[in-house]
Amino acid sequence: MKKRVVITGMGAVSPLGNTKEEFWNGLVGGKSGIAPMVSLDLSSYKSKLGGEIRDLQPEIHLGKKGLRYLNKGTLFLGSATKMALDDSKLPQDGSLEDRIGIVIGSSLGNFSETTDYFYEIIRGNPSELSPMLSYDVALNSSINYVSVIFKVKGPVRTVSAGFTSSLNAIEDASRMIQNGMAKVMIAGGVEQISIDLYLIFYLRKYLSGIKGGLEISAPFDIQRNGFIMAEGSYIIILEELQHALERGAVIYGEIKGFGNTYIGGKNYSTLERVSSVEKAMQEALRNAAIKKEDLDCMSANASGCKIQDPIEANAIQFLYGEDVKHIPISAIKSNVGESYGTAGAAQLVSTVMSINTGIIPHIINHAEKEPENNLNLVLGKPLQKKINHAIINNMDYEGNNMCMVVSRFA
Amino acid sequence: MAKVVITGLGLVTPVGTGLKKSWESFIQGRDGANEMKSFDTSLYKVHRSCEVKDFQLDVELENQIIENTIHKYVYYAAREAMRESGLMDDRNSDRERFGIAIGTLAAELTPFERLLRKDTSLKNNGFDKIVAAVYPPNSITSILAKYFNFEGPAMISLNACSSGNHAIAWAYDRLMDNKLDVAMVGGGDMIPQTEFTHFHNLKALAPDKCQPFDKNRKGLMIGEGAGILIMERYEYAKKRGATIIAEMAGYGLSCDGFHMTAPHPEGDGAVKCMSDALKMAKINPLDIGYINAHGTGTPHNDKTETAAIKRVFGGRAYKIPCSSTKSMIGHLMGAASAVESVICCLVLRHGIIPPTINYETPDPECDLDIVPNVAREVKVSRIVNNSFAFGGNNATTIFSKLE
Repeated sequence: MKKRVVITGMGAVSPLGNTKEEFWNGLVGGKSGIAPMVSLDLSSYKSKLGGEIRDLQPEIHLGKKGLRYLNKGTLFLGSATKMALDDSKLPQDGSLEDRIGIVIGSSLGNFSETTDYFYEIIRGNPSELSPMLSYDVALNSSINYVSVIFKVKGPVRTVSAGFTSSLNAIEDASRMIQNGMAKVMIAGGVEQISIDLYLIFYLRKYLSGIKGGLEISAPFDIQRNGFIMAEGSYIIILEELQHALERGAVIYGEIKGFGNTYIGGKNYSTLERVSSVEKAMQEALRNAAIKKEDLDCMSANASGCKIQDPIEANAIQFLYGEDVKHIPISAIKSNVGESYGTAGAAQLVSTVMSINTGIIPHIINHAEKEPENNLNLVLGKPLQKKINHAIINNMDYEGNNMCMVVSRFA
Repeated sequence: MAKVVITGLGLVTPVGTGLKKSWESFIQGRDGANEMKSFDTSLYKVHRSCEVKDFQLDVELENQIIENTIHKYVYYAAREAMRESGLMDDRNSDRERFGIAIGTLAAELTPFERLLRKDTSLKNNGFDKIVAAVYPPNSITSILAKYFNFEGPAMISLNACSSGNHAIAWAYDRLMDNKLDVAMVGGGDMIPQTEFTHFHNLKALAPDKCQPFDKNRKGLMIGEGAGILIMERYEYAKKRGATIIAEMAGYGLSCDGFHMTAPHPEGDGAVKCMSDALKMAKINPLDIGYINAHGTGTPHNDKTETAAIKRVFGGRAYKIPCSSTKSMIGHLMGAASAVESVICCLVLRHGIIPPTINYETPDPECDLDIVPNVAREVKVSRIVNNSFAFGGNNATTIFSKLE
């Protein structure tokens, strides 16, 4: 019998605010975390908007000492982890020893810090660069800091699977608890906006406004023309049920199951891509032993991408057929943008808040659906509904599809 | 009882491209160190590393990506492993149950550096041309999925120098849970100037040769290459009549939670990770016949690792051959533990242990049987493979003969 995995803490550093409360209030208040980017000089590029982290005060969470050596992603991840651990009321003095581990998803990890270091190398005399500067030159530097700060002695892993990295990480962390490798896992994702990453997306023509015209994060909307990139960190504390019960923890929800399909690399047809997403949802449901009729809401991957949004919409329609009207669908990327490697974790935090408050946030920036889209999108205002079971979709441009079912603890 | 087995191996190392050449070099104790060719080291105090020599991809690949990047090493090793496993032309399998997990430390850094070095003004003017050549790390799994027709879950393990063992552990869990039938796992890395500078400025690089466990050891040497293993559920391999090379018996993971670059002085994390691996594999420490040490050749690592091995194996530690193949090929970073896992499987197959070369002066603090300078024929059926990364990120894997 596999061990049950529950959620006992959450932390968020998001474009809507730097606590999970601000993130959630922003979502249900229909606010947008998207604005002209200030951390990058985009004067010569057409897409200028982004979901940046503003006014984070990491010293509140991590203390002042040594902060100036930490890169942006580490500050996001460290702050979100601290808030999640505080929320869980677990000890932070190292007394959990090897019973606590971390798995974090990140698509590129600390790639931009690594390339920054290379500019320093070719500009001057590499031998004279301070070793302190080079702490960031592994793609998993951020997680190393966090493991040291919080004295984590169990399994520590960074997973990169493109846009689905954070749900892959949460699946991995859940499995570690189920297999008895740890009692508590810090899981989630982190991403930081950098010029490197901006250009990777820009050159692949993923970004909204790239061909001129409206720059907007408009999931499932006819005016959508790409996504708006965002950054942040969303952390979930996963705990083995018995461990949580014994210490009298507040339980926010239960991880029920995952579905993962992959059609990377090949030139698959649109229909094959649709069926791959549908299959991931079915697998998650089967894995969770829950029928699709029992799902009370869905958190869509939809980011405003011209091609991907209809693939997801069709997959949902295939899954439900005539009944598609019964499942309310949210798309929080309308508020926070596409935070790629941590997007799935953001959706999980939002979905767990929905389970605990009975509110599903509405999709903003929405004018009109595609005519053939019959989905029951939550529009205009948040929807009040008791939620027992929810599904989260997370898709990558390289063909990785990740779905998960999360439920009220019962 | 479910089991996971290895049915294919592939290697690209600084002492040979392909399994055969690499293995011959290992048992001859060849040193793969050379004067650095891929970039100018005149501004550094160290000028040597272990580069892959004479590598040529003998097929024309339709996709340009593979030309300049670590994809080519990974692809080569993967193809060799797939051919050996007999899955290359297999048409009967459900490819949705074929997964991929690849470890890397630096991913696509080298092509990025090469372009920027050519024209430093590109940073301010035409930077997008450089970035166009950079692919996200998961492009590695996409390439493999495409060429070898894998349609199951895929991940890239970014866990610095234990990335390869993490990838193996990831696949082991999913094979044991019957989520996958087959997994292509391993690691690949090239030598980026960034990492060279990083290790150089930490004073971790040896000037001319890597001397693990030697009293006068001066540090590690950076290496490059790739190692791939085909892992399968035992039942699946048996059913399709595959030749089984070894059993992947278990793993252990731990974190020092102690310091960004220094290992825990008593090796607490290393002890836990070896002990957990033995426990998962249900193997008595007395039955271990060989340890492929992390053995980087830095003063810190070799001393701590020796102490940790003694804590796990007690008095028996002195009787277990424990060599560092990094003495020959250097530290392959994200590919290191994957390549070393392939070596462990080859040791099981051939019954020969590759030596720790460049060994001159004994160190009382590193007094295990490190198989100095000359390969040794032994009967061995259970092997421990250690990897302890910066940040205290530890991963140990265990391979054994199938019983």
